Amino acid sequence: MLDLLSYGDGGWGDEILRGAGMTILVAVTSFLLGIALGSLGAAGKLARGRLARGAADAYTTIVRGVPALLIIWLLFFGGSGAVTWVAQLFGFSGRVEVDAFAVGVLAVGTVSGAYSAEVLRGAVLAVPPGQMEAAKALGMSPFLAFRRVLVPQTLRYALPGLGNVWQLTLKDTSLISVASLAELMRMSHLASGATRQPFFFFAVAALLYLLMTVGSNAAFRRAEAHANRGVRRAA
Amino acid sequence: MSKRIVAAALMAAALLAGCGDDKNDAPATDARGLPSPIRIATEGAYPPFNYFDPSGKVIGLDIDIVEEMCRRLEAKCEITPQNWDGIIPGLQAGKYDAIIAGMSITDERRQAVAFTQGYATTPGYFVTLKDNPLQQVVIEPPRLNLNEIDPAEQAALDKLKTALKGKTVGVQQATIHANFLEKYLGDSVSIRRYDTQENLALDLASNRIDAGLADIIAWKPFLESQPGQNAKTFGPGLDGDVFGQGMGIALRKEDTKLLEAFNGALTAMKQDGTLKRLSEARAGFDASMP
Repeated sequence: MLDLLSYGDGGWGDEILRGAGMTILVAVTSFLLGIALGSLGAAGKLARGRLARGAADAYTTIVRGVPALLIIWLLFFGGSGAVTWVAQLFGFSGRVEVDAFAVGVLAVGTVSGAYSAEVLRGAVLAVPPGQMEAAKALGMSPFLAFRRVLVPQTLRYALPGLGNVWQLTLKDTSLISVASLAELMRMSHLASGATRQPFFFFAVAALLYLLMTVGSNAAFRRAEAHANRGVRRAA
Repeated sequence: MSKRIVAAALMAAALLAGCGDDKNDAPATDARGLPSPIRIATEGAYPPFNYFDPSGKVIGLDIDIVEEMCRRLEAKCEITPQNWDGIIPGLQAGKYDAIIAGMSITDERRQAVAFTQGYATTPGYFVTLKDNPLQQVVIEPPRLNLNEIDPAEQAALDKLKTALKGKTVGVQQATIHANFLEKYLGDSVSIRRYDTQENLALDLASNRIDAGLADIIAWKPFLESQPGQNAKTFGPGLDGDVFGQGMGIALRKEDTKLLEAFNGALTAMKQDGTLKRLSEARAGFDASMP
């Protein structure tokens, strides 16, 4: 049975591993896009302007309320049309195909961003207002106060929540297999179809997903410890 | 500051979302009005029709047929693997021009897409134990299409009916094979229905039924297994009528020129025996249809 996983042209080992690599690539890219979108979203939610608040609320409400799979379908079937339309505005004629990777990262990143926005908003609110007031009183410029005071403390509160979002994002990448991106889920599906051994290949995939999440859990724990340096925990 | 950021984000989102109802530019076409290249989607998880080999290349009978067809049409073809979910919407969205994925022609699918003539079918076969006296009965021709039954086919059907008279035949319930038994042999055999093909094969192997009827693809795992070594197909391979119209290549309804070209190539490949040869080489059985 294990020879099914041999490396090279005779087995599925290299295909599955390449799929796992693609899964990590998509997950990391989506998560980073999500952090960027989430920061914008959190800034919007905490902004004084009504327009910014409304836009950010609409983003998190809609995206968190709609299945991720549906967003992938919308981008997969609507994405090419939309990009072609934009390209034509710039005088390009012809059809632009959006590749499965771009669709996948955009879709999963959008979903991930909506959850990150809520985590970051909560973390910013958890930082005592006196901290920023003190920074101002010390004469820090707004940017310096943002960089030195707000971000490190926000991270401390946000990291556990972001660890959750990361796990969700990693698992959401499996949904992109419907757009035929050659990631772990898709490769296991193809291997099980070709060999008629679905249980074996899906069990291997489950193990690899578990390895990724357990590994990244450890990384997040270290990051949390780093962010909490200088904070003593009550015994 | 954040206002400006939000405005920029909104504009980007609006650009990305765009409007979905725009007219796509028609893809490049050649002098015959066929798309060039012809982009063809397949699933890649349905052996022996389309599947990946361990080196990551998509192969199978569907691919063999498409390559031969494109060679005859002197057209450039590109094969794209596409997940089965959304394979028809992808065709309609213009992501490719045709689907060859072991797709059965059904009336429901016909409402959405156009189909070429059937290019392949998985014939139904009776299977009995090798020491069963039924194995002595020789029935010609080896394949029986039930769409238009000619005298020779009628004779074969009658012979089959006589041989199976009073026998117990197992079949998976609610399948086209059960429909066949009811319609053609209902008055001469005693039908035993099973919930799964595996249970049917188990009872056949332990001699509780005289014969079983199922798709050749469904039989394959059993016939290749240890208990299946004592079993063998019996009688002709059945297709047509209740067995459906076989598998077709799906196209957008408006692509009539491509449909004509594909149908022409398929007819030629049926007449000179290419389809039979390709399917015997790839799948180990004759999947061609008349």
